[in-house]
Amino acid sequence: MTHIVVDPVTRIEGHLRIEAEIEGGQVSDAWSSSTMFRGIEIILQGRDPRDAWAFTQRICGVCTTVHAIASIRAVEDAIGAKPPPNARILRNLIIASQCIQDHVIHFYHLHALDWVDIVSALEADPKETAALAQSISDWGKSSATYFKGIQDRVKGLVERGQLGPFANAYWGHSAYKLPPAANLMAVAHYLEALEWQREFIKMHAILGGKNPHLQSFLVGGMATPVDPDKQASLNIHTIAEFKKLIAGAQEFVSKVYIPDLLAVASFYKDWAGYGAGVGNYMVYGEYPLDDEAKPELYIKPGIIRARDISKVEEFDASKITEQITHSWYNYEGGEEKALHPSEGETKPNYTGPEPPFERLDTAKKYSWLKSPRYDGVPMEVGPLSRMLVNYVRGHEQVQGLVNHVLKTLGVGPEALFSTLGRVAARGIETQLLVDKIGDWVDELADNMGKGELRIHDNSKWEPETWPADAMGAGFHEAPRGSLGHWVHVKDAKIERYQCVVPSTWNAGPRDSGDAPGPYEAALVGTPVADPEQPIEILRTVHSFDPCMACGVHVVEPGGREITRVKAR
Amino acid sequence: MTERTPVLVLGLGNVVCTDDGAGIAAVHTLIREYEFPEGVVVVDGGTLGLSLLPLVDSADQVILVDAIAADGPPGTQVRIEGEEVAPAVYERLSPHQIGVADLLAGASLLDRYPDRVVILGVVPDSIELGLERTPAVQASIPELVERVVEELRSLGYRPVPSTESRDEGHGSTAHVARTLGV
Repeated sequence: MTHIVVDPVTRIEGHLRIEAEIEGGQVSDAWSSSTMFRGIEIILQGRDPRDAWAFTQRICGVCTTVHAIASIRAVEDAIGAKPPPNARILRNLIIASQCIQDHVIHFYHLHALDWVDIVSALEADPKETAALAQSISDWGKSSATYFKGIQDRVKGLVERGQLGPFANAYWGHSAYKLPPAANLMAVAHYLEALEWQREFIKMHAILGGKNPHLQSFLVGGMATPVDPDKQASLNIHTIAEFKKLIAGAQEFVSKVYIPDLLAVASFYKDWAGYGAGVGNYMVYGEYPLDDEAKPELYIKPGIIRARDISKVEEFDASKITEQITHSWYNYEGGEEKALHPSEGETKPNYTGPEPPFERLDTAKKYSWLKSPRYDGVPMEVGPLSRMLVNYVRGHEQVQGLVNHVLKTLGVGPEALFSTLGRVAARGIETQLLVDKIGDWVDELADNMGKGELRIHDNSKWEPETWPADAMGAGFHEAPRGSLGHWVHVKDAKIERYQCVVPSTWNAGPRDSGDAPGPYEAALVGTPVADPEQPIEILRTVHSFDPCMACGVHVVEPGGREITRVKAR
Repeated sequence: MTERTPVLVLGLGNVVCTDDGAGIAAVHTLIREYEFPEGVVVVDGGTLGLSLLPLVDSADQVILVDAIAADGPPGTQVRIEGEEVAPAVYERLSPHQIGVADLLAGASLLDRYPDRVVILGVVPDSIELGLERTPAVQASIPELVERVVEELRSLGYRPVPSTESRDEGHGSTAHVARTLGV
């Protein structure tokens, strides 16, 4: 038996570390650990709830907007502020454009190199690549000359030793299955996606001013003025600019991303048999379509249990709890408690080994993540959950896109419960959103036309208008999954704040009943051809879209490290 | 064609991780206390990584302001330039190093790496969770600010001390910066 440790390096949202046992060429057991304490909840105590979003926005460097959204929703829920229609629309635009950009970056820049072999691309015949590209899409950049140019550029980088993000991967690994021509096509699109995303994210620059951290959030609405005729506002020119960016996104996603996804997936259909995970899927829902207290949502909420896609349960936020049996925390009421986030506690209690260490004692506490549970069971969150729940609930556009992907690949819906299913669902959601986001631009333009220019509900701005004691919850579907913030406002100050983030749902440790979290469950059964190059483990973990790149250490039984490989 | 920025001053780091926010604190001090001549753009980049690509790859000269792990006690001033930049962002910027490495690699892959990249920073003491810089690092920030100003002068740009106070409305950059304590 071999023990593998996958220990990422970035601390943007907290280190993620995977330990796995390999037996008979596959993972027999796995543990997921976050090795950095995050305690934004402690920083927020006693502060003005209207400022909370500015702090939570800095929790995670990769997806700043999502914590701002969840925070302002939680505070609005507590104090009873009602954002006007334009604020809802602007938030939908911010959320959807963040999700679209994030998914494209994930596919091409964080995940593709688990499936695409750059070195093999150097051996490709550009003519074959051109023929392949033209057979799957009518995207313009598909000539043999174009692909030859890309190949020469990458060759140049290799020769000069300037591989950058292409360095430190497992080139030539037997798990890479794409022919050279397909590898070259994917490398070309890696570069095109890099270029495209930098254009598309101008959506945010327009919505939030030039500052890369959007400053346009405001409890009760938004801070960006809407006025068709004013220079310093979102105006008629903005609408035209949005439309141009969205048309470009639609073209890129439908002519490059989706064809690439289907082409790559067709070579990796065996990955529809690995990485299933806990089989429970949770969605809070997102994109309010009206301004009622309980608005219709474009992506619907719901719960699917035990891979049973004959039905969806209604989501009930009161059933969420967090356990700490295997987490480095104390609870005042005792270790065994399962607390709802509205009464959640953040009391660190590190009992792990002194770093640097080789192995965690996984029988005891082994992670800075808590174990969130819904009705006592672990839940996977993210694009796969969203697409499954909406597929089963009969969402017309989701059903159309999912069926198209399944039919093209010649597989049934059960194939979705897998590593490959997670990758496919992310692409499907991207297409869904690029097809929808234009409607919100039209709605904004209509409001401008009608003279409906309100962006903020001032009636609840002053603390005197708030209840002396109020609880609120803010729910949001971030690119990586369901995000919830819970706030207790007392005498105009934050008394208690809790964030339950997507990566906690997916990457959390075992619970009091020893039930594994989604990463842990998904890794069991994953084949590992070479324990020194565990690319298969990265495929499954990356399919969840963890916030960070990974470094990989491999250790022998007994814990002695035999090699150390950095994976991007 | 994207409009070019002659000089970009880009603060990097996480303001909720004590000394990791040193570069951000320096940049907000610059924004508050100086007027910059045409051609200079000063930005709080946080830990946004690849999302900063449009800013970086349209700049001719880039001054990164950050906490840097280097020899010397906390608060020691550090300057990194030229060929040392790439290894430094892989090894010495923390805790957002991957994002910055991806950012510079992205500019390079698109053949739009700035003509010149300089990193100005200070050695951190702690990067634990917390809004305040440790005393040694906090004390080093005025000098870091002054060094950025000097760097700009050496490039032919003369920032001048600001006379008017900035808009402090809720949601404004200045308000958010004050809220975060930078």
